[in-house]
This record gives sequence, C-alpha cells and structure tokens, in this order.
Amino acid sequence: MRKFSCCLATSVAAVALTAGSASAQDLTAEVIHWWTSGGESQAIAVIADEFEARGGTWIDTAIVGGSNARAAVLNRILGGDPPTAMQWNIGIDVIEIAEQGLLNDLSAMADAEGWLDVLPPLIVDHAVIDGDFYAVPLNIHADNWMWYSTEIYDELGLAAPTTWDEFLQQAEVIQEAGYIPLALGGQPWQERILFSSVLVDIGGNDLYRSLFVNHEPSAARDGRLTEVFETFRALGAYVDEGSPGRNWNDATNMVMTGRAAVQIMGDWAKGEFAAAGLVPGEDYGCAISPGNQSSYVLVVDVFTFARTDDADQLAAQEMLAGVMMDPEVQVAFNAIKGSVPARLDAPVGELDMCAQIGAGILADRANHLPTFNMAMSGDLGGSIEDAITQFWNTPSLSAEDGAELIAQTLEQAF
Amino acid sequence: MLAKLRRDLPAKLTVTPAVLVALIVFVGCLLWTVYISFTGSRLLPNYEWAAFAQYERLFATARWQIAYSNMFIFGVLFIGICLVLGFLLAVAIDQNIRAEGVFRTVFLYPLSMSFVVTGLAWQWFLNPTLGLQAVVRDLGFEDFVFDWLVRGDRAIYTLVIAAVWQASGLVMAIMLAGLRGIDREIWRATRIDGVHPARVYWHIVLPMLRPMVLTAVVLLAIAVVKSYDLVVAMTRGGPGNASDLPARFVIDHTFERANLGLAAAGAVVMLVTMAAAVVPYLYTEMRRRER
Repeated sequence: MRKFSCCLATSVAAVALTAGSASAQDLTAEVIHWWTSGGESQAIAVIADEFEARGGTWIDTAIVGGSNARAAVLNRILGGDPPTAMQWNIGIDVIEIAEQGLLNDLSAMADAEGWLDVLPPLIVDHAVIDGDFYAVPLNIHADNWMWYSTEIYDELGLAAPTTWDEFLQQAEVIQEAGYIPLALGGQPWQERILFSSVLVDIGGNDLYRSLFVNHEPSAARDGRLTEVFETFRALGAYVDEGSPGRNWNDATNMVMTGRAAVQIMGDWAKGEFAAAGLVPGEDYGCAISPGNQSSYVLVVDVFTFARTDDADQLAAQEMLAGVMMDPEVQVAFNAIKGSVPARLDAPVGELDMCAQIGAGILADRANHLPTFNMAMSGDLGGSIEDAITQFWNTPSLSAEDGAELIAQTLEQAF
Repeated sequence: MLAKLRRDLPAKLTVTPAVLVALIVFVGCLLWTVYISFTGSRLLPNYEWAAFAQYERLFATARWQIAYSNMFIFGVLFIGICLVLGFLLAVAIDQNIRAEGVFRTVFLYPLSMSFVVTGLAWQWFLNPTLGLQAVVRDLGFEDFVFDWLVRGDRAIYTLVIAAVWQASGLVMAIMLAGLRGIDREIWRATRIDGVHPARVYWHIVLPMLRPMVLTAVVLLAIAVVKSYDLVVAMTRGGPGNASDLPARFVIDHTFERANLGLAAAGAVVMLVTMAAAVVPYLYTEMRRRER
C-alpha cells in the first residue's frame, strides 16, 4: 500500500520532469546509477566527461544504494518515464526487463563493432537475449578476493595462506597474538561471499557450477558440500563477537588499521584502501581467496538503455554505448573503480597489481564463474543466502544439515 | 431538499478530495495488493492467476516463519511493556513531584527521534565490542556479558528494548493527561475511607483511563506494523535472519528479490493478522462507549 503511493508520487514527479525536458533536444542522456562513494563518483565522471567531450549533455541521477536505485528505475519505468540509461548488475533482472520489452536492442552496433568477440562469454550470455543485445558492460569485479594486513603477517612471520587449512592453522597463531584472524561483516551477502570462496576451493569450479548455474540438488548431496560446510563452520571460531550486522567497509577498515588479519571481500574493497592512500603489495596484500587460483566469481556492472522511439534519445543512447565500450575509457574508468575492464582486449598494463592478477585469471575463460545474481533469480539466490546465513548463525546445525538446506532450496527452484 | 443540498454543498465539496484519496490510495492499493498476492508476479506486476501458490510458499519459508513469530514476540512485549511502564511513569509523575516538567520532557524526549536514529543509537550501545559490554569490561569486570544483539535467540528482545525506550514516553503522556482529568473528589473520598492508593489505581482510576489505553494500544499497534526502519537500522534482521520482521521480509522481496507476488502475500498476511488482533478489541471498546 505504502509502496504504491510512493510509486504514484514518483510517477507524478516523473511526468512533471518529462514535460519540462520535452523541449530539450539532441544528445541529452539521463543516467541512473548508484555510484556515490568518493572513488565511485570519480569513476563515473570519466564516462560523463567523455560523453560531454563528444558533444552530449549528461544528466547525472545518482541514487545512494543499489536497491534504492533499482527501485527508482522500476518506478520510473512503470510510471512511463524511464531514464536514458540505467545501471544494473548483469543477471536475471536484466533478462526479465528485456523480455518485458522495456529495453532497446543494440545488436546492430554490437555486431558492427564486434563486441561479442571481446567480451567474456559469461557476460555475452546475459547481455544477449533472444539474439538481441541489451546490456553494455563496463567492468568486472569478483567476489573471491582476499585482503590481508601485511603488518600482522610480517610481525608474525607468516606468508599469505594458500589453502583454507593453512589459514585455519595461521588463525590460531594470529588469535594468540591478540589480533582478529578474520574480519567479517555479518550480513547475509557477506557471509555468502565467504562461503563462495570456501566453496570454489574445496568443491572446485565444477561444484559451484553444478549448484548455482545448473541448480542440481544431487550435487549438494554427494558429500563435497558437506566438506565445504565443515571448513566454513571452522572459520566461525576466528570471527570477532562484533561481527553481526557490521558493514563491509568497517570490516575492511579493521584490516587497514591492523586489528584484523584477513578479509574476504570483492575487489570493490580496494577502493577503500585506495581512498586511504594505501598501496597494494606494500601497505596491504591482495590475492585471490586461499586455494583455487583458477576461479573468478564475476560481478559485472552494466548499463541498459530504455526503450524509446525518440530519434534524439536513440542517438544519445548509441553515443553513450560507444563511450562505455571504448577500450581506453574502460581502462581509465577501471583504474579508479578498482575493477578490471569488461573488454578482455583492453590494454590493462597500467592498472595496479591486484587488477593484473585479476586480468591474468580472466584470460582463461574456463575460470569465469557467475556470481549469485548473475546465475540465479534474486528470489532463488536470496533463498540460498538465507540458507547460508541460517547455517552460519546457528552453531547447532551440522555440516550435513547445511548441505541439506542448500539441496532443499535448490529443489524448490523458484 | 434543495436548500439542504445547497447548505451542505461546500462542506461536501471540501471533504470529497480527502474521501477520494482515501478510496483510491488506501482501499484501491489494498485491493491491488491482495490481487497481486494471488498472481505469479515477479519483478513487475503480472496478472496471471496463481491461486494460493504464493501463500503456500510463504508459510513453507523458514525466514517467514521466523519473521512472523517475531512479530508476535515483538508486538506483545512491546505493547505490554510500554503500557505498564508508561502507566507507572505517569503515576509517578502525578505524585506532585518537584521539577515535574523536567521529568516529563526527559521521558518524552526519545519520541522526538525517529526509529532509524533509535535503532542506530541502540545498535552502538548494545554492540558487544563497542558499547555497554566493552565499557563495563574496561571498568574491570572482565566477565561481564551482554551480547543479546549478536545472539540469534536474543536479538529480537533488543529490538523490544529499543522500541520500549522510544515509545513508553508517549504512553506516559497519554496516561498523564488521563490522570489529570480525574476528579480530585474521588481521591479525597477514598482517602477518607482509608483505601490503599494502589487499590484506588487498580480498581477505580485504571478503568476510568480506558479511552487512554485504547488510544495508546492503537498507536503502538501501528508502530509494530511499521517497525521496518527500527529493525533495518538496528540489526538488519540479523544475526542471520533471527530478528527479521514481516515488514522487512516484504520490502526485501519486493525490491531485492524481485518477487512481488510473495511480498504481496506477506503484506496481506500482516494486514489480516493485525486486523484480527485489533478489530475485535476496537469493536468491543467502541460498543462499550456507545452504551
């Protein structure tokens, strides 16, 4: 009830907006995105500046928080006044709005410029729907990164862990020295990232794919997942008491200030280190999470273009897509954003050492894994997250129970 | 007839917009939500009939079961404690104490803060590594433990604590207004008869405060339903989903999880539950007054 009245209000506001901007013409693009932190807004400014340099006018509609931005976009679409372009994390949501006929097809441009050959197949699979191209990817982040305090590791004479078992042994030492071994923000999505990182190591990319891409309940019951949950449970002993509800950047700060040794978090965490003026390899360490170094759990930011017949808007959309897919622009953008260009042919030589590691793993396409919202509907992914967080926060559940929870969730397969 | 119409017309015209808004926005959206809950809507509304599928899934979902039972724990404790505490505070202030205005302000002050601020402040205060527990331990009591906020089986009670802190001042203000309206003659009469003040409060004053209690219950019940902001600011439903509430479940499924149908089913169950709890109470209270 409440949400509908809010939609009504926004759509009224939206109608007012269109009426106002109807006289404005040619290459004006209103772009909705959720990049509002310091580093993020500098990164999107790279796109905006280039767009304006090519003769366009950029209207920046930045909305704090991904879910708020997506809600605003849906309200605008339902209200009949979509923006020119809007940000999404590539995945089922994009497919659904494309199937509803709300997006413009860019396949003519994609074919002409050969985009399909330079993008990872995993992205192409989600950007091309029924032969039409709907989503322009800017960057690739990954979930399974490890950030560690070189200060603590040097002091204790330890080397960065190469397996989870090794980390568990180190954790004893780290805890005895009075530090927190694992900095974790206890929110379901962060627990999921930790879980995925353990999963790709112990179960390998195969198990990850069988579970979350192919949704096979049988794969959850063959014993491998039980091992994953055993290690996952063991990690629980090395997280501090204040973890539940903590934000991810507060956990990053614990590593930054030398209170905690390790955080498993996507490479957007690098932005926090960069904002504090720290240099990877010197002030902090970055690596793929322990174990399996041949997996990259992709999180991809894309922009989609709202369906319109307006010639000016179509031209603006096309120019914006061209800017976003320019290899030079992608490198400049990702140097600030902390991610790796979505174009695998972009010259990444100047990016920092973490991005170099990422680009190296990305070079082999067998290493590409989709993150939850790329592999599953928000609904199914969310239900699996519920199962993971239920396990993590209920010490009485055994590893077998955990595997069974996942199996049952997959069986329902919403 | 015509004269009457002419006389009433301005008044009717004045009310019409309000009635229309109420009908369209409230009743209309309510019916729409009920309809959506019987469809398979996902990211966007879709009007294909799916009968009770969403409701079946809703009640089979572990997270909803937790959230739904939490609403009862939270609702009963919050309303109950607020009423008792608010009444006792009002009685205490009514004893002709010195600096009454100061106390009234102090107790009413939390109400001026939103649930979001309340939630954040209590989150910091109850966080075991930052707040109360850490402070007491630093004072030398190493064994002191108060970690309800991060314990799955206790987190819901920390929400009750924060909500009671915020809202009991309101109940106090309502009750105090009621107490001040009670005829001084009653007190004089009972004092002459030598009745113990506690008995006077219980048997005479409290029944006279019925309308105040009714107002307080309605206001508190509304707060229970819309307690979304408190839980989001304070625990985000955590640890895990242990302190989830239906409002958060519904919002989460509407936007994050793109399942409008399930969210609508959750919203309808919330509405029906609140109606089942509040309507009979309101009904009996209203009838009592009519008599």
